[in-house]
Amino acid sequence: MELLAAAIVIGLGAIGAGFGNGMIVSKTVEGIARQPEAKSALQTTMFIGVGIVEVVPIIGVVLGFLIFFGQ
Amino acid sequence: MKTSMHLFPIIELGSLRFDLSTVIAIVVTTIICMVLGVLATRKLSVANPTKMQNFMEWALEFMHSTVASTMPLEKAKKFVTFGLTLIMFIFVSNLLGLPFGIVFDAHEEVKLGNLVIISQELLDSKGGHAHVAFWKSPTADISVTAGLALLVFFVIHILGLTTNTKHYIKHYFQPFWIMFPLNIIETIAKPVTLALRLYANIFAGEVLISTILMLNWVGVPLLAVWQGFSIFVGAIQAFLFTVLTMVYIAQATVHEEHDH
Repeated sequence: MELLAAAIVIGLGAIGAGFGNGMIVSKTVEGIARQPEAKSALQTTMFIGVGIVEVVPIIGVVLGFLIFFGQ
Repeated sequence: MKTSMHLFPIIELGSLRFDLSTVIAIVVTTIICMVLGVLATRKLSVANPTKMQNFMEWALEFMHSTVASTMPLEKAKKFVTFGLTLIMFIFVSNLLGLPFGIVFDAHEEVKLGNLVIISQELLDSKGGHAHVAFWKSPTADISVTAGLALLVFFVIHILGLTTNTKHYIKHYFQPFWIMFPLNIIETIAKPVTLALRLYANIFAGEVLISTILMLNWVGVPLLAVWQGFSIFVGAIQAFLFTVLTMVYIAQATVHEEHDH
């Protein structure tokens, strides 16, 4: 049962992180294509955005590890 | 499969529990940062800078532009060294757990003088013997990241209260006074997410390293790839912690003149 719980936590977290990061990076690429001079500012903001979006999925991964290895 | 998580040597002094591997790693990180600082500033010269001096000047420039992107220029100067300290400490400590690990096999109780490190009950619950790790990234321990987040929390609120009192207290009740509970939750969520983000990223990386190591020789190229990615993640997380600290400081201290 714990294996299932760990798998669900990590899987759903991965879906959320994938969708969120995909949206962020796609908008950044659009912005760079529109205005190449702003590339470094856009890139910095993208990394900050990715860091903020990935917090909860990464916490989910740690919980998954704790469930999986803590039996 | 279940033996992938190492035990850590935890000693109890009074009612406080100290993780020996974390203490050792923090001391090593501090020594490395201080050595880097001393090496970069030996024989300072304007006309003929050494490579370390060039590197440190680049790092300082980078930090200054990062801080300046979050708050107006006159205020940015005060926080550049604080930001540089944070980013150097966190980056060095993120990298510390990557090159090697020190793991001992424990079959009987491990003691240091009179202090019990691994007790017999803990050994029995793991089936008689366990692996004890004496080396890891300090930021892979929630106590270190929580300590950093608490430090930043105090800096933000004490600075906000002393330099910008009226606006700082007013911002809890804006835009509507009914949103006061939400603002309180936001205030608590900021350091909590700072600590958890850094801890989870580095801890997950280390657990994956020990999982890949269980594959023995097949996992060597995979380990190389994963360690390279971990260096990247360590740099990003150090940068992110520092940038978010500067953004929160700017939110608390800058007197905004525009209307909400």
